[in-house]
Amino acid sequence: MSVRFVLRAGERGYSWLPSVGLNSSYVAGHPDGVITRHSSFNFHEYQSGIPGLGVMKVFGDEVFTPNGTGYNMHPHHNFIIMAFVLGGALTHINTIGKIDELGKDDYYVFSAGSGGKHSELNIGEKDLAVIYVWVLPGQLLAPPSYRRSHFDRQAGANRITCLVGDEKGALPIGQVFKVSRLVSDADRSHVYRPSKVNGFYAFVLEGEVAIADAILTRRDSIALDGEDKIEIAARTDGTDLLLVETRL
Amino acid sequence: MKKYLCLGCGFSYDEARGLPEHGIAPGTRWADIPDDWVCPDCGTPKAGFDMVEIPYYAEGRPA
Repeated sequence: MSVRFVLRAGERGYSWLPSVGLNSSYVAGHPDGVITRHSSFNFHEYQSGIPGLGVMKVFGDEVFTPNGTGYNMHPHHNFIIMAFVLGGALTHINTIGKIDELGKDDYYVFSAGSGGKHSELNIGEKDLAVIYVWVLPGQLLAPPSYRRSHFDRQAGANRITCLVGDEKGALPIGQVFKVSRLVSDADRSHVYRPSKVNGFYAFVLEGEVAIADAILTRRDSIALDGEDKIEIAARTDGTDLLLVETRL
Repeated sequence: MKKYLCLGCGFSYDEARGLPEHGIAPGTRWADIPDDWVCPDCGTPKAGFDMVEIPYYAEGRPA
């Protein structure tokens, strides 16, 4: 058992990005619009924090206020960017030509490849809560692509469902990388079986869970490596986790 | 010859290719680019780049 780190919710990097002032070209929205971002890893200025895990460089827990707040059109290359919508509605616009609306439990994979721009907006009337994950690509400057899917809460109850990765029903990304979702009732135990050479990261969206002798509550996370069997014990109803497996 | 990736946006710099359109000749070493240089796409400082060992996309080669 090798625990790389336990990261408590309040220890994460924090950004408060209003749509006015220095950010006004980057952050969309009316003057009261604001994005809050809790970063598990060193995103831009967090160079002193945890430098990601394997090919995962960003794990951002973000909230956009309503009525137009978001990121204006901005450029990317190479990164594979994923959004997992937790609540509210996300409007995603990209230069591949896609305009998409995503709701609760929808998710997308946008591979910026040889170059693309995107905009992420909350044009709804309530807060948007979304997790953004950035992954290094297996190849540089590949053709850009966009795909989306949905986590089915009923079919996925009390089992681990692969959302991204080389599994049936999941979105493949050409990397040794998986994102799974687990929504569990209380007092149930689940086993995740990663490859022993990979890293594992569990992030608690809601509820309380025991992993590797650590008790984790809402927005806490843990990283492990060298494991091929990880027990996840849910301690509350509605325990909800994102599970990441990555090449190291 | 090494490659570097901007952690702000994913822009890649390749020493072998340089960035002629931004005045950096092919073969320019990362160390020889000024410390105050920033990502031409997003403005992230040079220090916000990481060295990467990732091959280029090639048609027909599995990712």
